[in-house]
Amino acid sequence: MSTAFDILLNGVALGSVYALVALGFVIIFKASGVMNFAHGSLLLLGGYLTAVLHERLGFYAALALAVLATALVAGAVDLILLRRLDPHATHVLTILTIGVDIALMTDLTRRIGGDLLSLGDPWGGSVSTFGGSTVPHTRIASIVVSLLVIGAVFAAFRFTAWGLSLRAAAEDREAAALMGIRLHRIRTLAWCLAGALAALAAVFLVAFPAPGLERTTGEIALKAFPAAILGGMTSPPGALLGSLLIGVTEALVAGYEAELSALGGGFGDVAPYAVMLLVLLARPNGLLGEKEAIRV
Amino acid sequence: MSDRWVSGRQASGRRVSGRAALRRVGPARAAGAAAAVLLCAFPFYLDAFWLQVGLFSMAAAIGAIGLNLLSGTSGQLSLGHAFFLAVGAYGYVWLAGEPGPGLPPAVAMVLAVCLSGLAGGLFSPIAGRVRGVYLGVATLALVFLGQHVMVNAEGVTGGFNGRSVPPLEIGGFTFAETDPALVVLGVPFGAEERLWYLGLVLLAAVWFSARNLLRGRPGRALSALRDSEVAAAAMGVPVARYRSAAFVVSSMYAGLAGVLIALAFRGIVPDYFGLALSIDYLAMIVIGGLGSVGGATAGAVFVTALPLVMGRYADQLPLVAAPGATGHAIGPTEAARYLYGAAIILVLLYVPGGLGGLFRRRVRPPTPPVRQPKEQTP
Amino acid sequence: MNRIGRPAAAVAALAALALLGSGCSSKSEDASAGTGSDGVKTGRGVTEKTVQLSALTDLTGPYATLGKSIVQAQKLWADEFNKAGGVCGREVRIEVKDHGYDVQKAVSAYAEVSPDTLAMPQVIGSPMVAALLDEVEGDKILTFPQAWSADLLGKDAVQVLGTTYDLDMIRAVDFLTREQGVKKGDTIGHVYFDGDYGANALEGTRHAAQKAGLKVVPKKIKATDTDLSAQVTALRGEKVDAILISAGPTQTASLVGVAAAQGLQVPVVTSAPGYAPQLMDTPAAPALEKTLHVVSAIPELGSDLDGVRKMVKAYQKRFPGELVDSGVLSGYNAAVLLGQDLEAACEAKDLTREGLIKAHRDRAAGDAGLGAPQDFTDASQPASLSAYIHRPDKAALGGTVLVEDARKAPGAQEYLDSAGE
Repeated sequence: MSTAFDILLNGVALGSVYALVALGFVIIFKASGVMNFAHGSLLLLGGYLTAVLHERLGFYAALALAVLATALVAGAVDLILLRRLDPHATHVLTILTIGVDIALMTDLTRRIGGDLLSLGDPWGGSVSTFGGSTVPHTRIASIVVSLLVIGAVFAAFRFTAWGLSLRAAAEDREAAALMGIRLHRIRTLAWCLAGALAALAAVFLVAFPAPGLERTTGEIALKAFPAAILGGMTSPPGALLGSLLIGVTEALVAGYEAELSALGGGFGDVAPYAVMLLVLLARPNGLLGEKEAIRV
Repeated sequence: MSDRWVSGRQASGRRVSGRAALRRVGPARAAGAAAAVLLCAFPFYLDAFWLQVGLFSMAAAIGAIGLNLLSGTSGQLSLGHAFFLAVGAYGYVWLAGEPGPGLPPAVAMVLAVCLSGLAGGLFSPIAGRVRGVYLGVATLALVFLGQHVMVNAEGVTGGFNGRSVPPLEIGGFTFAETDPALVVLGVPFGAEERLWYLGLVLLAAVWFSARNLLRGRPGRALSALRDSEVAAAAMGVPVARYRSAAFVVSSMYAGLAGVLIALAFRGIVPDYFGLALSIDYLAMIVIGGLGSVGGATAGAVFVTALPLVMGRYADQLPLVAAPGATGHAIGPTEAARYLYGAAIILVLLYVPGGLGGLFRRRVRPPTPPVRQPKEQTP
Repeated sequence: MNRIGRPAAAVAALAALALLGSGCSSKSEDASAGTGSDGVKTGRGVTEKTVQLSALTDLTGPYATLGKSIVQAQKLWADEFNKAGGVCGREVRIEVKDHGYDVQKAVSAYAEVSPDTLAMPQVIGSPMVAALLDEVEGDKILTFPQAWSADLLGKDAVQVLGTTYDLDMIRAVDFLTREQGVKKGDTIGHVYFDGDYGANALEGTRHAAQKAGLKVVPKKIKATDTDLSAQVTALRGEKVDAILISAGPTQTASLVGVAAAQGLQVPVVTSAPGYAPQLMDTPAAPALEKTLHVVSAIPELGSDLDGVRKMVKAYQKRFPGELVDSGVLSGYNAAVLLGQDLEAACEAKDLTREGLIKAHRDRAAGDAGLGAPQDFTDASQPASLSAYIHRPDKAALGGTVLVEDARKAPGAQEYLDSAGE
């Protein structure tokens, strides 16, 4: 099979990992209007817990515990810190997450030190070959898990009471409150969910082909940030679409670097941002973002 | 859902009417004069470390005042401030340096500021189309594209290793170490001491110009814009023009901050002008309290000076290990970062109006708080 | 309002304050050059009892592992050095400042320590070194940066120890063509970091490849890239016969792991910063042992050189349980060389900054007993042209074993001469 197909496959696999991170951004943004700068440290927390627990508990139990713990920490950030502030002051909440990130990240990197931690995932370095293209099993798993999780979140948004309330709150906070929706509880739940997703994403981010969890792993969360925006901060399928687009662009530009050398070496890393600028010019609310109605 | 990143209710700083501002001028002026005298005396006492911290803070304050104008007053979220700082810094270095046209540094400085303004102006078509958090991320793209250019355009920027910064010269006076050394009242005046006064003058100029801008017609127009574009347009504010003007002016302030940073660093590298710097600036204006010049300045000092100062003295704290100690002990840098993270959280939780508000309350004579109507999103 | 009075009053107050200040300001004291009671000329950073050294390191950023190794190794050296009597009857002290890979913090830390510093045996981080380069040169503080880019050459006060990145790659290509069956007309891929590390390495590769009649396929990556699937796929598409990588250990592990998974079985060579013993605990370990080689200016830790053996023993005794990696050896090496410079300067009775640089630049065969001797006389030339080839080994101390002893790559001298033109 051709290199082009290989590259495309790499891109989709990479995109599926970004999607798990981006989805966390989207959920928190939709529920509280906050850009969560602490997402990277939540991700690192989830990965770290899995890494230290898996030898004693086995991978799946360790992952379950890590997902739960990260969800609780994320929920606690909302419950203990954000809830004390005016929910309308989204800019203050956003900067507060920076403070949380600094404290949490410092502690995690101190614990990790110079280690390169394995998460003990069952896929290891195994690969399958499809007509000449090799695909690591970790990537197949990440594509399947992303699709399942995003489907589940999408369904939850659509069909559960929580999802309905969340969408109502996102639409019009005051009206939702008047309808008897408990905004606080919805928001805390959203944070928990985003934390759980971050822990899950950590697994696929540091599994093969990446060598393991290290102190800088959290920074990769920033790569998912444009993905979330690209798809429109308010739409889970948009997050998936945006992530795939960014994964594929990165892979394409890395694969065809020689042909693109006029743009300067290493353009692959900025390509997503160039794509994003173009998308925002054409669709100011992202690919699938809802059009903002201007009310007077 | 409102994608606006700040609504009018939070940015209370510039809601003070002109008349109210006049009333509290007396004590504020006295305090200001005292502060000015104190600031002028610092170079005679403080060592190079403190002067540099001060210089970084002054540069940050200039940049933050600019960002405040854009994001605080007119409500346009920008994560691209680092880019405009870079344009100013690199603009100066290229224009005054070799390779480059080698202009007189003072001219290069002015042109670099204009260049930043131009960059802001060129971006305004996007700014005019994209709103709220999406604008934030479009500006974020600027930072990454900018860094890409800085690393690749070696002829202009010196590539990854950056370039050294030619010292500023105004009318034969050099803002750098000279031989023979300049000695003022028995104190040798090196680069930091001289730049300190340059920083003070520039900060004062920016402070007053921004305050006049905010208190005058443009300031009112911009806050009207933030609160409701439709309403502002109905009242005769040319929306597009003001939005892009805010971008241009804020970028010029950022450019000036960039030049000052470059002069203080004496060697600039692309690595500095990254996303972290942009986020720092956002943190400055929020921690200081949106919408006021004093707030932006207080926030800039908090975000810039606190980590540096804490980093220097953290080894005095109890339970802190020496740097590079064995195991996973808490070193001074970690201790300083815990404290810094906690300080951000505490300020935001317990000083809701921002540091600027804290300062204002102390100066203002006690008046019953004006109850603002709990209006809905207009 | 009194518009004229205020500035006038302010100026008057300021003048008064300043006058007052100059009287009691400690800054007006002139604490500079002089000659000690023992007839040794001293300047900033040297007192009657101490010689102050500083280290600008990264203990909390991406190079924390390296930083910690070097800090501890140099601490070990300082203790040994002082125990043996110090220099000119003075003790050395190392002030360690952690910048966490932040340019602004590094600049501010430099402002803090530089007035009272004689030399810096450690500065980590290319961007930080680049930002401080002119300052260091202007202040004449002898500095050993832990970065090996050829861009840092040509400064009297700055000494890159060992080989530069470009020479490492010339050595790597030489090794590939001699020992790994790469021949004229073949293609080699070079995956490299954005920045001076990668750019300088690529320069060396291009030169050596041209001489050997090889085609080079460069792939630029960033430090945040940890999945190199796309790069490996593309290199496979180009049918490369060998891969060079100038990046971090994480990237090397990903590259080698993916290549093995994709069935791309070609030799991979990196330079010292691209490998860390921690990699041998990852799933990529078997593939690394099979295909990777490391070019290094310093010997492996299991070397039977006397100096290395003694150092390793002392280090393990002083820091039990701590990892011994090549950073330890490289940091210790730098400190020992600086110690010899100090002794030479002491002998010449000139412990000023200028005196130290002169003593350093007079040494044509600086030998710390830790590998090939180095020539410091020409600031524009690398201190050494010889490098070792190592191979990862899980069981070995420091994670590598020797493959080829230190040797000059043929063509290295010619490359330097052509670059000088």
